[in-house]
Amino acid sequence: MKRMINGVRPVGFMRIGLVTAAVAAVVLAPIARADSPTFGKSCTVQGLSTGIKTTDLVCQQDANGKLKWAKVFVGSARVKPAAAMTSPAGTIEFYHWRPEDKAVFASIISKFEAANPGAHITQVISNSVDYTNLAFAKIKADPKAAVFVTSRGGQFQQFYDGGLLRDISSERYVKQNVVSSALAPATVNGKVYGIPYQFLFNDPLYNTDIFAKNNWDVPANWSDVLAFCKKAKAAGYIPFAYPGATRGNAGQIMNSFMMNSAPDLATLTSRLQAIDTGKADLTSDWFTALAKQYKAMADAGCFPPNVTGYTDTSAAADFANGKAAIYPTGTFSISTVVGLNPAMKGKMKLMSFIAVDTKPTYQGIFNDTFILSVNPKATSRDQNIARAFISFLAQAPIAQEYAVGTSQHVSIVNVDYSSNIDLSNTSDIMGKNLMLAPRFIFNNVGTVRNPMEDALIAIAGGADVTKTLADTSKTIKQGLSG
Amino acid sequence: MVLPALAIYAFLYLYPALSNLAYALQRWDGVTKAKFVGLHNFVNMTNNDDLLHKVVGNSFKFTFFVVIFQTAASLFFATFLVKNTKTNIALRTLYFFPTILSSVSVGLIWTFLYDPNFGFVNAIFKKVGLNSFALNWLGSEKSSLYAIAFSQVWFHTGQMMVIYIAGLQQIPAELYEAAEVDGASRWQQFKNVTWPMAMPTTAVVVAYTTIQSFRAFDLIYSMTQGGPQNSSNILVTLIYNTAFSSFRFGYASAESILLVVVVLVITWLQRRVLRINTGEK
Repeated sequence: MKRMINGVRPVGFMRIGLVTAAVAAVVLAPIARADSPTFGKSCTVQGLSTGIKTTDLVCQQDANGKLKWAKVFVGSARVKPAAAMTSPAGTIEFYHWRPEDKAVFASIISKFEAANPGAHITQVISNSVDYTNLAFAKIKADPKAAVFVTSRGGQFQQFYDGGLLRDISSERYVKQNVVSSALAPATVNGKVYGIPYQFLFNDPLYNTDIFAKNNWDVPANWSDVLAFCKKAKAAGYIPFAYPGATRGNAGQIMNSFMMNSAPDLATLTSRLQAIDTGKADLTSDWFTALAKQYKAMADAGCFPPNVTGYTDTSAAADFANGKAAIYPTGTFSISTVVGLNPAMKGKMKLMSFIAVDTKPTYQGIFNDTFILSVNPKATSRDQNIARAFISFLAQAPIAQEYAVGTSQHVSIVNVDYSSNIDLSNTSDIMGKNLMLAPRFIFNNVGTVRNPMEDALIAIAGGADVTKTLADTSKTIKQGLSG
Repeated sequence: MVLPALAIYAFLYLYPALSNLAYALQRWDGVTKAKFVGLHNFVNMTNNDDLLHKVVGNSFKFTFFVVIFQTAASLFFATFLVKNTKTNIALRTLYFFPTILSSVSVGLIWTFLYDPNFGFVNAIFKKVGLNSFALNWLGSEKSSLYAIAFSQVWFHTGQMMVIYIAGLQQIPAELYEAAEVDGASRWQQFKNVTWPMAMPTTAVVVAYTTIQSFRAFDLIYSMTQGGPQNSSNILVTLIYNTAFSSFRFGYASAESILLVVVVLVITWLQRRVLRINTGEK
């Protein structure tokens, strides 16, 4: 199993082996017939696979950079996935931030409890903003919080620094049931402290019906994006339902702006870390150029009127009701959109948002998050229940139930997405060269990232680029120095 | 009898207050070991924190708006609903109703009403031809604070009205009868009887509204989270963000001490002004 290199999932990475049977039937099989996949022979489409068994093949780059058919090895140890552990009797709490997943988790928990008589798990759910702010304090004070999730980056680091993450490196389900490259965000000094359960794509969703009806091509570069906005606006659509009043989702498109803004990931990471630590500010040429792209989009009519007051609720509704062509958030919004308008099922795909006119290095964003961890402060019995529960979640049929029920891709091996058309429709991005979402590189979320994203939103709303960046830089520096 | 009360007070109020004071002298992220920094947090608040200065200004603007309009509106309604008729009691219940709603629900309702593109407020303005009044209420730095302040007034006017009604009902009817005999108009009765006699109630309403406005966390957090660009950020939301978003617990403690001092000073000033007006010593 390949590991991520500098946070980049290698082209043709093994998760492709998990792509659905439906995708295989609809997309892969015709290509496979044309290519006649043979181990070691050349192939043309990066990331395509012939199935999900270890004997299947995937098209990926070899050591010389040539595309070749290689074996799919879905698990890190190339062995059979481990069975779920047995749980002792007892009651624990499971903290997470997905109210929309409550019913699916309730179903999974009831199966876990049936398989482990006497074991009980209670969900403790907050919305993502409250969870980001308060989860650490609550979990630290609650010994029954034996299993919980953290988001990649600052929150995971906070829990690690606070000693609230148990080392689970030696667990069999970690080695055998999880796509190994997904473990990187939960690994510190070679030790694994959690399983990033969700495999998200923080790329814009587009309405395939609108594009088909208007005979539009999905914008493939920066000039295309601006031209598309003018075209879509003239046709009466909101080109990008950019939720400027909701920082969390408005911030997602920043990932796409950043992914090709630096020569390579190492440079980008170092620039973001410099901002995060106060060594650089937002007035640099690089960040100013990025901010000016928000202004260019605003000038091209990409955003809805009054964008700074445009909430995510409105954005999701406009996209779900066919008023907006693109909803620039990510796959985690699919279930919300379908919930608002069931007719949208099967009508969404992911767009590679390319903000350059040159050949892009990266074509999309992904994130390994919703990191499941065990609380070492809980009693050993409760920790054993938590371990058993995570191992249960790491079983392919259970992970599949979660994925299909919530429309979220997962990092567990042998998951078949075919019974959820939206997952199937968005799985093709796995064949592209993706960057691990740079937005989560920031550790100083409240002091640095939030004001930075607020500045970009203000610029999208028409604020002066130079003044906004200068003022925000000052606020950030004062916050870091205080 | 005094000892249990003192113990409860010491445990629930004194100890947290002293702990807060101790935290204010430290740099602490809530995770790693705290570091004693003396008065650095307070010095920094004074010399090197433009955001705090802006937020303090916002707090005053917000409180001023709410105190003026909430007091005026509640007194206005109270003067009309002071008599215990069936209609008045029904109307009092109606006006009091928003007070019993959850503040987060109120925030969500008003966020929807203020939506710039399909909200009820702008729809009404556009319907009557006042297009220039159809604003980006919560998305504009100019209007967001006042839009929330208006929601706050709507939310709590009924509550203050009830306090005023209780106060107005204590005014002896003979005073109004005497004023009527002297030929005083309704306005003159209000100016020369109701207003002076309601001054003690006004003192309570103003002090309570001031404190309530300074800690109007829920409404702001659910409507704008202090945005855009901190234009609706007030001291309590800043303290929350400093502590739980930036994880600067020591600094947040120092900010909370500032909040207490500001509220104490304002309340004291208000009492002084109202005492002068009522002739109290």
